[in-house]
Amino acid sequence: MLRSLYIEGNTPFHRLPVRVKLITLMTASIALFFVSSLQILVPTFVTTLCLYLALGLPWREAFGRIGWIAFAIAIVALATWYFNGLHEALALTFRLMALVLLAAAITATTTISAFMDEITVMLQPLERLGLMRAADVSLALGLVLRFVPEILDRYENIREAHRARGLPIRPLTLFVPLIILTLKDADTIAMAIDARGFRRQ
Amino acid sequence: MAIQFTDSSVRFGQKTALHPLSLTLAERRIGIIGLNGSGKTTFARLINGLVKPTEGRVTVNGLDTVADDRAVLGEAGFIFQNPQHQLIMPIVREDIAFGLKNRGLTNAEIAAKTNAVLARFSVSHLAGRRVHELSGGETQLVAIASVVVTGPKILILDEPTNQLDLKNRRLVAATIDGLEQQVLVISHDLGLVDGFERVLLFHEGQLIADGQADDTIRRYHEVAGC
Repeated sequence: MLRSLYIEGNTPFHRLPVRVKLITLMTASIALFFVSSLQILVPTFVTTLCLYLALGLPWREAFGRIGWIAFAIAIVALATWYFNGLHEALALTFRLMALVLLAAAITATTTISAFMDEITVMLQPLERLGLMRAADVSLALGLVLRFVPEILDRYENIREAHRARGLPIRPLTLFVPLIILTLKDADTIAMAIDARGFRRQ
Repeated sequence: MAIQFTDSSVRFGQKTALHPLSLTLAERRIGIIGLNGSGKTTFARLINGLVKPTEGRVTVNGLDTVADDRAVLGEAGFIFQNPQHQLIMPIVREDIAFGLKNRGLTNAEIAAKTNAVLARFSVSHLAGRRVHELSGGETQLVAIASVVVTGPKILILDEPTNQLDLKNRRLVAATIDGLEQQVLVISHDLGLVDGFERVLLFHEGQLIADGQADDTIRRYHEVAGC
């Protein structure tokens, strides 16, 4: 099944130009790195949370999308608390969660095609210097966004197949088929991209 | 305007997927049939360079599939057995436009060509739909449209009616019939290739029959033992 992380809508954030969104994310990522005051980080986190929840995603899906990364941040925060104290751990959590929520909001309000077009334009100067092919980089980024839900779907299918056969779920029997199937599909899709002439020139 | 095979063969490691063959394909409608694993798809993939010949050469309208591989992709479009694999973008309109990127076209030109091909295949109403929401027949039509929009002179369809119900089979068959391109169809659906000008039969990597549809299909029944 081919799904998309994009959610149709007409919120002000949907209408914001892609370039503005990407520059905002980049600026916020750099700026928040230098901030450790909770008086700034907590309101930033609350603002991005409100922005994300205002996009119209069902709550379950909204939290499901960021669940794994929130879990990873929680582990890092616990380690930081142990080694550097509570203030550092809270600052790290609010900083990273604010960025994750902003990035998730951008992903949910921007089509893959719009992402690819904008990234191609933004990378043109580097292409002129002969450092890269802008279209290839934008395609790679677009495919990552396109594949994330696909891989999650496949993960669920393999889990269900285990349950249906009454097999215990073990990392080895879960991730090995997931990796093999993903690589096999990636091969076919790469072939389809070539067959459709995207990289003709 | 022809596809030319000259002593072309394909080996994957020690396994010969396609034994050497030489032939010219110039007919407008060509069917390719055979049992599973008989070499049909390998043969078809040689035409647009997705598979390269281990020996010999293949040319498409004078272009060599090895030396001129990028140009050959523009001459021969390929519609995969599972059309979902070929739909790269999540929205129908975006997916049709995908193949037109990187060709120096403006966004307005891409939109115009996309709308034109959607209208031509009577699927304009699907433009804003997510591709995973389409029915089997709609998915196949969008996959065909996504390749036709790039303007190939030859179309290769790998089992285009696979897993379709009767209604959608007829819809896809009628669409194929209306294409102006030279069309090669790999199929287990013998009714689909029955009226074609030429049908090729592969068995164990060899071309064992090549001629009119009736004769080749009769030979296929003998090979399949049913």
